Amino acid sequence: MYQYNSNLEYYNYDNNNYNKPLYTKDVDKNELFDPYSGLIRGTMFKNLYNSYRNNKIIEINPKNEKEQLQNILNSLCFSVIDISLYLDIYPNDKDIIEVFDQYLKQDNAVKLEYENKYGPLFVNSLINNKYPWTWNKGPWPWEN
Amino acid sequence: MWLYEKKLEYPIDIKKKDLTLAKSLYSQYGGPDSELAAALRYLNQRYTMPDDKGKALLTDIATEELGHLEMIATMIYQLTKNTSIDELKKADFSGHFAQHDNGLFINDANGVPFTTSYIETTGDFIADLESDMAAEQRARATYEHLIDLTTDPDAIGPLSFLREREVVHYQRFKELRNYYLENKIQKNS
Repeated sequence: MYQYNSNLEYYNYDNNNYNKPLYTKDVDKNELFDPYSGLIRGTMFKNLYNSYRNNKIIEINPKNEKEQLQNILNSLCFSVIDISLYLDIYPNDKDIIEVFDQYLKQDNAVKLEYENKYGPLFVNSLINNKYPWTWNKGPWPWEN
Repeated sequence: MWLYEKKLEYPIDIKKKDLTLAKSLYSQYGGPDSELAAALRYLNQRYTMPDDKGKALLTDIATEELGHLEMIATMIYQLTKNTSIDELKKADFSGHFAQHDNGLFINDANGVPFTTSYIETTGDFIADLESDMAAEQRARATYEHLIDLTTDPDAIGPLSFLREREVVHYQRFKELRNYYLENKIQKNS
């Protein structure tokens, strides 16, 4: 008969608690990572962080000034996306809306700075009015 | 409508060619639990969600999945860039090359083309949300298999990010499903 052995490495993977409502015990569901820590983990919510096996968290290493700013932008943009999914279901969570508002303002400010330096992110960005046309300029997001 | 944002959700910069991994990544490009299937499934189901919470959540998650489709495409593109015929043959990529050259094609890791039968819709929002939860679980498992297939941190970074997103989406779908059940929300038509 199959014997359950809780010492097996397999059973110690964090992702084995998948069907519990909260993944990490004792963590408040409103406790958030900062945007960069959230981006490299894939979640802003501490209670949902659930790494695969014992994989280390992989840091993002910007190689130049552009990538540095892009990293800040990615982090803020991610925090806005992730928190908005939560707010879709909990629209009355005032504390989280306050945090959301703070990141949203920072995200907009960094977006403006990024676009002024490196070109428009959206075809309808206010800065997409230069001669000659800049929207079609690479590198495109998939190019490295 | 949708407007394109000229950036990735999470940065991808893969320097090392790996055709075998690229082939496996097609599972998430055009497979049954791919990002494309997820995006289309949620976009298609949102019309029969019973309230604003459901309509918003499915719209927003579907939109994010389109961004993930772009991430998978980017990984495949970077992993296969500048490959020689010999390398293609060695990695068993010659079938893809014969039909598509370096172009991407929406098929799974075994070359089976994408089909809309992957997209489940019943019009019953509880059944749909539970199928969405299952889809997120299957995609999480697929990402774990993909992480097992590589040792390159440039690939593990985005794959771990995408895996964790499946965990988060699963949780949000589950919270919405539980909310509907606990509050006895009824179908509105």
